[in-house]
Amino acid sequence: MAYRILIVDDEPALQSMVNEILTQAGYETDAALTCAQALERFHAAAPDAVLLDVMLPDGDGFSLFGKLHAIGDVPVLFLSARDEDAARLRGLGLGADDYITKPFLPQELLLRLRAVLRRVYREEANTARLGDMEIDWGKGTVRRNGRETALTAKEFALLKKLWEARGNIVTVDALCAALWDGPLVGYENTLMVHIRRLREKVEADPSHPQFLLTVRGLGYRLKREETP
Amino acid sequence: MKLRSLRKGALLVTCSALLIAAVTLLGILAFLYSNSSGGREWGVSLEQLSDALTWDGTAYTFSGEDLLEPDRWMMLLNEEGRAMWSFHKPDDVPEQYTVSDVASFTRWYLNDYPVQCWVREDGLLVVGSPKGSVWKHDMAMDTHTLLQTPIWFAGGFLLTLGSVLVLAWLVLRRWFRQEQRVRDAARSNWINGVSHDIRTPLSVVMGYAAQLEDAADLPPVHRRQAAAIRAQSQVIRDLVNDLNLTMRLDYDMQTLRKETLQPAAFLRQTAADFLNGGMAEGFGLEMDLPETPLPEIAADPFLLRRAVNNLLTNCVRHNDPGCPICLGARAEGKELVFWVEGGAMAGTMQPDTARPLEPDGGAAHGTGLRLVAQIAAAHGGKAEFYSGTPYRCELRLPVKG
Repeated sequence: MAYRILIVDDEPALQSMVNEILTQAGYETDAALTCAQALERFHAAAPDAVLLDVMLPDGDGFSLFGKLHAIGDVPVLFLSARDEDAARLRGLGLGADDYITKPFLPQELLLRLRAVLRRVYREEANTARLGDMEIDWGKGTVRRNGRETALTAKEFALLKKLWEARGNIVTVDALCAALWDGPLVGYENTLMVHIRRLREKVEADPSHPQFLLTVRGLGYRLKREETP
Repeated sequence: MKLRSLRKGALLVTCSALLIAAVTLLGILAFLYSNSSGGREWGVSLEQLSDALTWDGTAYTFSGEDLLEPDRWMMLLNEEGRAMWSFHKPDDVPEQYTVSDVASFTRWYLNDYPVQCWVREDGLLVVGSPKGSVWKHDMAMDTHTLLQTPIWFAGGFLLTLGSVLVLAWLVLRRWFRQEQRVRDAARSNWINGVSHDIRTPLSVVMGYAAQLEDAADLPPVHRRQAAAIRAQSQVIRDLVNDLNLTMRLDYDMQTLRKETLQPAAFLRQTAADFLNGGMAEGFGLEMDLPETPLPEIAADPFLLRRAVNNLLTNCVRHNDPGCPICLGARAEGKELVFWVEGGAMAGTMQPDTARPLEPDGGAAHGTGLRLVAQIAAAHGGKAEFYSGTPYRCELRLPVKG
């Protein structure tokens, strides 16, 4: 089932472009140019998420956000030309799921919208595929050629963190923060040990990793693979 | 608000001027008094009057009628306190005086008549004025104090003058600042407004260009053209962002949200975000961090990330088709140095943060680098740019005390 996104923006050209981007990406869309229209469409269309401009002709997006939240708990992403810290912090402080500053690239909008939807609606599949290996998030195991191997808690947390950001570099500091509490100085070597052990479980040839890649001086990157 | 401030300023200056005038007047009066003959002369010299009164062996002759005003009177007392001669003496003025009477009226009044006295060989000459015409008072002052009085007056005058000048300076500074704030706010609002209005159409341009760039059914040449439009739109976006921030920093409108930062972790995250954003082919980013832990700094992570990003972006933008870029940090005394090195940056000059932005907003002269220098300055540090190959920039920031 496709998610329905309500686009609230007073600029028809921008609205039309966002509409095209979302439609091409497989979303259903609805549109409103004003606060009043947005409230009416919100009631009528029952969207799964709202892209909300801050400056609207008959009010501001922050107030409208409060009204929408009073009606239904739907994720809201601000889409604003206001880039000041104060506006961004206000939007996020109100409880918005993201604050995207105009101008933006279509891919950025899609990625951020997808991340919010995945987080809110917990659409994460219970299994994932990495090359010829299947990860079972529910059981905390990896399976290759019919052979199932259990992950330790640290390995599981590590793989989960890398999977959530797959395709992107995750710094050693961010990985340490995902694995341990408190000051993170001195954990780098221990992290390397966990990475090595994880590679032994997820890579066909751990000495020449194909998926869990080292980015020298920065951290690690899990090569992007599509889930089935 | 402005009018109220002006009124307050005018009132302050007026009060100050009145104060200084009053003090000056008092000083002049004191000077005149101290230079007078102890209040003895009320219009005419007593010595002249005394000289006009002569004894010819049988009687007194007074030739100074013209000297004495019509409402004043005179009398001469002998050593026993008896009036031997008088001129226009009122009836209520006695003929005989005791020593205590004389002591009293020489200081104060004789039957409420203010009188002046002049000692002669044959007695005491008393010159009276109408009742209520002169106010007499006794004044005695320690000689040391008297000698110091001019110094006190001069000191007081200078102090008052200094206070007035300080007040005037404060008032003027406030006026200037208020004027400056109004001008700055107007300029900043204008830039904010323009950048706000640019952002929405730029979104449409960037969005469609990016879609055309990825459209598989378009010929490659058109896709390349769309890519160029998208890339140049991003340059405009960065310029608008930089211009906005540089203006806010220029006019102290950007609040620093300082946090304690671990430099190595911060730099790794910044580099990772930069690479995750997609770096053009042909470029390589390397980290150069020391083995030993770096000292912590208190900095606004958003602004600092912006500064490092600007340096990285500049390296990429000016070094097509590619070059190695190195990003590192080191500790030097009480300073932490972030540095970016790579490629060449023709015409790079040291941005002057003290110099106000040029009318064109400095857009043509590296607003991005100027912003880096401003961000360093806002953190109490500085940015140093070394032109040449490889181009190098160092951000020197104070370590957390």
